[in-house]
Amino acid sequence: MIASLRSLSERFRFGVILVPLLLLLTTLLLAPPDGIERAPLLQFVGRFHPLSVHFPIAVLLIVPLFEFLGRKRNAPFLLPSVNFLLLLAAVGAILSAALGWCLARGGGYSGPLIRQHMWGGLLVAAASLICWRLRSGDSAAPSRFYLPMLLLAIVLVSFTGYRGGQLAHGETHLTEFLPSPVQRWLGPSSRLTSVSSAGENPSTFYGGRIQPLLEGHCVTCHGRNKHKAGLRLDTYAGVMRGGKHGPVIKPGDSKSSELFRRITLPQNDDDFMPADNKKPLSTSEVKLIGAWIQEGASRTLSAEALAALPANDANRLTTEVTFPDLDPAAVVRDRTVVAPILSRVQLRLPNIVEYESRTSADLVVNASWLGSKFGDDELAELASLSPFVVAADFSGTAITDRSARIIAAMKKLHHLRLAHTAITDSTIAGLGTLDQLESLSVFDTKVSESSLPVFTSLARLRKVYAGGTRIPQDVAAPSQVREKLVF
Amino acid sequence: MNDAKNSIPAELSTPLPSETQPERKLALLEAQTRRHFLLRATGGLGAMFLGTLAPLGLPAAEVSADGPDRIDIRRDPKAPMGVLPPQFAPRAKRVIYLHMAGAPSQLELFEHKPELTRFDGQDCPASLLAGKRFAFLTGVPKLLGSQYPFHQVGQSGQWISDRLPNLEMHIDDLCVIRSMRTDQFNHAPAQLLVQTGNPRIGYPSLGSWVVYGLGTQNQNLPGFIVLISGGNTPDGGKQLWGTGFLPSVYQGVQCRSHGEPVLYLNPPPRVSAPERRRVLDAMEEINQQRYADFGNPETLTRIAQYEMSFRMQMDATDAMDIRKEPDSVRASYGCKLGESSFANNCLVARRLAERGVRFIQLYHWGWDSHGSSARESLNLGFVERCREVDQPIAALLTELKQRGLLEDTLVVWGGEFGRTSMRENRGGQVMKFVGRDHNPGAFTIWMAGGGVKPGMAFGQTDELGYEVVKDLVEVRDLHATMLYLLGFDHNKLNYPFQGLEQKLTGVKPARVVAEVLA
Repeated sequence: MIASLRSLSERFRFGVILVPLLLLLTTLLLAPPDGIERAPLLQFVGRFHPLSVHFPIAVLLIVPLFEFLGRKRNAPFLLPSVNFLLLLAAVGAILSAALGWCLARGGGYSGPLIRQHMWGGLLVAAASLICWRLRSGDSAAPSRFYLPMLLLAIVLVSFTGYRGGQLAHGETHLTEFLPSPVQRWLGPSSRLTSVSSAGENPSTFYGGRIQPLLEGHCVTCHGRNKHKAGLRLDTYAGVMRGGKHGPVIKPGDSKSSELFRRITLPQNDDDFMPADNKKPLSTSEVKLIGAWIQEGASRTLSAEALAALPANDANRLTTEVTFPDLDPAAVVRDRTVVAPILSRVQLRLPNIVEYESRTSADLVVNASWLGSKFGDDELAELASLSPFVVAADFSGTAITDRSARIIAAMKKLHHLRLAHTAITDSTIAGLGTLDQLESLSVFDTKVSESSLPVFTSLARLRKVYAGGTRIPQDVAAPSQVREKLVF
Repeated sequence: MNDAKNSIPAELSTPLPSETQPERKLALLEAQTRRHFLLRATGGLGAMFLGTLAPLGLPAAEVSADGPDRIDIRRDPKAPMGVLPPQFAPRAKRVIYLHMAGAPSQLELFEHKPELTRFDGQDCPASLLAGKRFAFLTGVPKLLGSQYPFHQVGQSGQWISDRLPNLEMHIDDLCVIRSMRTDQFNHAPAQLLVQTGNPRIGYPSLGSWVVYGLGTQNQNLPGFIVLISGGNTPDGGKQLWGTGFLPSVYQGVQCRSHGEPVLYLNPPPRVSAPERRRVLDAMEEINQQRYADFGNPETLTRIAQYEMSFRMQMDATDAMDIRKEPDSVRASYGCKLGESSFANNCLVARRLAERGVRFIQLYHWGWDSHGSSARESLNLGFVERCREVDQPIAALLTELKQRGLLEDTLVVWGGEFGRTSMRENRGGQVMKFVGRDHNPGAFTIWMAGGGVKPGMAFGQTDELGYEVVKDLVEVRDLHATMLYLLGFDHNKLNYPFQGLEQKLTGVKPARVVAEVLA
């Protein structure tokens, strides 16, 4: 009884494995991967495909090695295990192919790559099974079809593996860093540039600047072969159509556009794109996309229309401020001349003069808080720093016209306050060379009408705070001076 | 030895702001718990041996100080208020914050809502009440139209009520934000949220953050001064200018509005100045010893405060003394000598701004116009409050403008939330006085000067002025904007505490309101 059962299973062994293969075939035919994402459980199981797939590949590749070495004199013991290896390869291939189907069907894959990979996998399983069948009779003298069949299985597994690699790591994952002479020799077709944008006009803003960005960062997952969340970013139509959760672009409104939101989230956010620690878009790239959406997400908008981006004027398009980057090395370099002088002066006059900001080598002086304790002698100590000062406040200090020369040497000044001081027109007369000056306060000083020509001559000067001076409010002066005066 | 359980928490292996060796020692000791000790003990002698190597192997101090996530705020511990440059070129160098404690009604000042007036006295639609919590409103309250007429003023043509006749002359200097929102509907937490970014106590105030980041120029005056008027301290209490987890030297210093500005600055009778100096020197010596032993930065704070109070004797009294201003100036503010008033405080604020004080915070109490009493009503108390602040604020703006100070002084006016579009019906009854309940859903603030776009209104509420419908500005967005104007990225001005990079704007993303920048 037991013996007969065993012989039955011996006879139908082939069938026991053939049945799942046929089942798999039916599944693939009836429910091919169609680019729609499905049940998370299916995807979860499917994620084990990349893990398990290397097992049958390795086993199958060992078979020719064993066959070869086993026929040498010193390792005949290898031959008997080949049958088992082939069986293992067949079972492993069927299992991984089934897992692969789960991944493809669940994860939103479709397209030629996945199709080739899928059928390749199935054929590998079939070929291993046939090899096993052909060899399982007499190991000493296998069928004459065995060797060609084994060869075919090896070719198939290589092809399928390559396609799988393209799916996981991008279409050019093998050829990308091929030495360029070899690439040239192989010809342009080998570069597999087939993914690049189909017929986008590079002179449009979309074709020239946006599409390349999407290709560089997005299409591995949202492209022809994988369209996660049903989203394809490899064509303009796909970009505008959006994914299974609806459109990702809202023309004219970058802030409510899902695509823009995803790329501007904090990088550790679950929804951040590109996902899985792939290289994020740079700030300027993000700004470019934001600007393009803000301007209507047009396909035909010319590249020149937004040519200035992202260098400047970005605020007009996206009302976001940018925080300047700090490059410590550059700051140190900029400050080489001023730093030693500044630290010397700061020792003598603490909290009077400081850098305008952490990114700049320009200086800001404020002596007003010292009041009468700050006079011409103290100001003289700042003389060596004059060329670097961009804003100075001497309001309420004891400085007099004696300091005029030092103030006049502050060529970069754009803001100057001399309110409540003893300075007179003679100090103002020296300021004619401060061509950067934008704002000047002489509030509550003895400055008079004779300073007006100086105010006129300074082209960038916008405001002169002249209340409490000898300049009357109704002073007769040309309108371009009058406009500058604030009382 | 680098085992996570056995090592000191990660936040302590990066340099602390104002780090010095003794402080580091203290921080490490404080981070030790009984469990740390036991865990370490389990490792036995081997761990102890390896532990001795740890200081050689852990290059904590090599982490760049001006890192990508935090700007370096380290100072000489003896000068905790020293000036530091901001992160990037600032638009504003100092702040005058006028907080109207109790929350003034935006619907009687800046929010012109003809539709609300049209529906005055009618039942409030149920949709406005669904899911809302109120302090006092019950049942179905009646809508309440604005109690005062509105008109358009200035070149910007903004709407304003007739309650602020002096301020309206400055309308083209103001940037009015009508779309503020908060999530707190009681005074104390809402005030805390506006002033510290957090409705719970224990967080540093806006002024503390600013003085922490920038220091202050005038070393003879506190960098952060608080002045109070209206007869009461705001409901949020002194935590509103507290320093939270920042070193306590950065907390606001409340100055009295009459008499001696700060009590006990001057030596007591029969103690001469040199004697006082000797006492201070002796105390500093003792404190320095203490700091060397325990490394507590609060000890340095204490030393610095004694020193400052000594220096303040002259300067504080002078800065606060509005008798030194001419009569005409005092009259323009409506000051009355010897009185504690918002007008006096506004004039003091200008004097402090001129003297290099970084952050000047004014509170004026009494805006809680529920209608529950004459003082707390829109028809009586509110009128008084408007009169008390209108002229002084206008005079302050005028004077800052005349001197050119408005260019780099940021003036902020506002309460802690708004008031409802409905008339308050406490206990379900028609009350004797007219009033409105608290409305966290929409309120109005304005800013002026310091890099803010003048003569504009930003944001919009619905036709009843009840909720924001366009350009929402959260409190944290206001904070981010203020810090931006002062030259900071709000994300990078942070301080490690309780395992978080604590910052004024909190953990939710905040946005600099770019639309209001000049």
